[in-house]
Amino acid sequence: MPKRWEVYPGKSQVLFSGRCISAKNLSVFYLTLALIVISSCLFLAFDCRLLAVTLSPSVPVLAAVQFIFVLCCLLRTTFSDPGIIPRGTPDEAAWIESQLEGPQVDRDGNYRPPVRLKDVQISGRVFKLKYCFTCKLWRPPRASHCSTCDNCVDRFDHHCPWVGNCVGRRNYRYFYLFLISLSVYCLYVMVFGIVNLVLLSNMRKDFLMAMKESPTSVLTILVAFFSIWSVVGLGGFHTMLICRETSTNEDIKGSFNQRRHPDLINPFDQGNGLANCCYVLFGPVTPSLLNFREDEIGLGSSISLVTNNGRNGTASAAAASTAVTATPAVRYSNLTRNNNDATSNSVGHVNNSVQVISESLPAQLPGDGNDVIVKNGNGTPADGVISGGTDTVGAQNSNTQSASSVHCIV
Amino acid sequence: MSSSKPLPNSSSATILPPANKAFVPRDYSHGTELRFSTELPAKLQGRIPEEVFTAVIGNINQLLIAAETGSASVYLESCFACLTGYLAYICMETQYEKCLRSVSRLVEEYNRTVFGPRNLSMIDPSERGLRVIEIVLLRP
Repeated sequence: MPKRWEVYPGKSQVLFSGRCISAKNLSVFYLTLALIVISSCLFLAFDCRLLAVTLSPSVPVLAAVQFIFVLCCLLRTTFSDPGIIPRGTPDEAAWIESQLEGPQVDRDGNYRPPVRLKDVQISGRVFKLKYCFTCKLWRPPRASHCSTCDNCVDRFDHHCPWVGNCVGRRNYRYFYLFLISLSVYCLYVMVFGIVNLVLLSNMRKDFLMAMKESPTSVLTILVAFFSIWSVVGLGGFHTMLICRETSTNEDIKGSFNQRRHPDLINPFDQGNGLANCCYVLFGPVTPSLLNFREDEIGLGSSISLVTNNGRNGTASAAAASTAVTATPAVRYSNLTRNNNDATSNSVGHVNNSVQVISESLPAQLPGDGNDVIVKNGNGTPADGVISGGTDTVGAQNSNTQSASSVHCIV
Repeated sequence: MSSSKPLPNSSSATILPPANKAFVPRDYSHGTELRFSTELPAKLQGRIPEEVFTAVIGNINQLLIAAETGSASVYLESCFACLTGYLAYICMETQYEKCLRSVSRLVEEYNRTVFGPRNLSMIDPSERGLRVIEIVLLRP
């Protein structure tokens, strides 16, 4: 059975058997990496020799720490899933497209393509959601389709060739921290490169002699100087975007430009810049929805094939139920194979989550013997009766083992 | 496959939706919150009482919305991860993942107690990229 990464239909590059994902063309990323690594190595190897002795050994140590942090952020940005929304299954696509107004030919003989917009009102402002024919899904607000990677990305910011990936909801904080840490690091390298030259020229009493003696300093200072303009500028721009809770894509399209259109409010803005910063940079991290390391089970099409075959009544239903229940148990759930499984093993793993069944659920379902637990606010069972010997539901501790220990895609 | 391509020169789409599946779409009326529509799909009319369905989806929504809420523990977890250069995520499970895991367990429980007896099966929304909740009609 193939894994999901092996049947991934987009144009992104999947690496390390589904553990990492990036854009296909990484040539500019290699340039970025080379610039950072080579300049840092030259700085640490040559400039820091004099600086460690003359000033303090903490100068190269701080430089090394910053270098590692910059690399971590860069590699995370490049190889993380930016928030790709997995493509819709064929059945979902059929369901949505059956509801869309189809292609029309009007009286003049002009072809009108199928209408694929729907309006949604969010906090008093109308958003137009688009149906993505490539990905077969209604694009959530703030999502956009990246033509380079051929994916819909949630909270799409932009596709950055310098980091070799899209920047979207999942990796925006790594991208921003990469910019900020690189700005600080460039400034640090430039300042201490100049300090090194000044110290050397003081010792040699000649600035040109010092430059000839330490040409790598000149090189690192120049690289840092030219990088600072772009990196600090971009960092400042993104700081402003974060404080306004806007993405680059929305800024370019003017989606929330209230100067031009006062009614274009931003419903995602939390009111103040600090709250927005905290949420964007330190808010909840969505796990990757691609689930690349799991088996590809032909997501739903096997079921529609089975039940389409009207000849085998119960056989097809049984096969369908097996196909449905035999979902990969790996990522989030422990699997209960069938309803008659009375072993404590499967039930023992139903734990505190049952407590959230609200009191509005009826205590008894009509017509069948299975009863539902209704819990009071303090977790004690109310009137619900447990059937089938599964009496461990209420009192069970959360003893769930994760079915897969592999922490998949970053 | 249950779908068919539209015929040429047809004035309306002839794509057929799958007969044995009902889909519960995302509800974006509250923004990008993780929330599914509580409206009973037409295919499930008569198979499951509306109030049961609404309560089930409501409970799932509660867990999902909690996953996306920025609480103090979430912020602390992110700050800690940041300080370790995000290397902590290699061995740490995030709050979001824990919430999705509890949603999976809840879906299993509902399949056992609510949907299974009615010959329905709910697919965990994580299996569908949090786009839809798919409910399979096991018997017509």
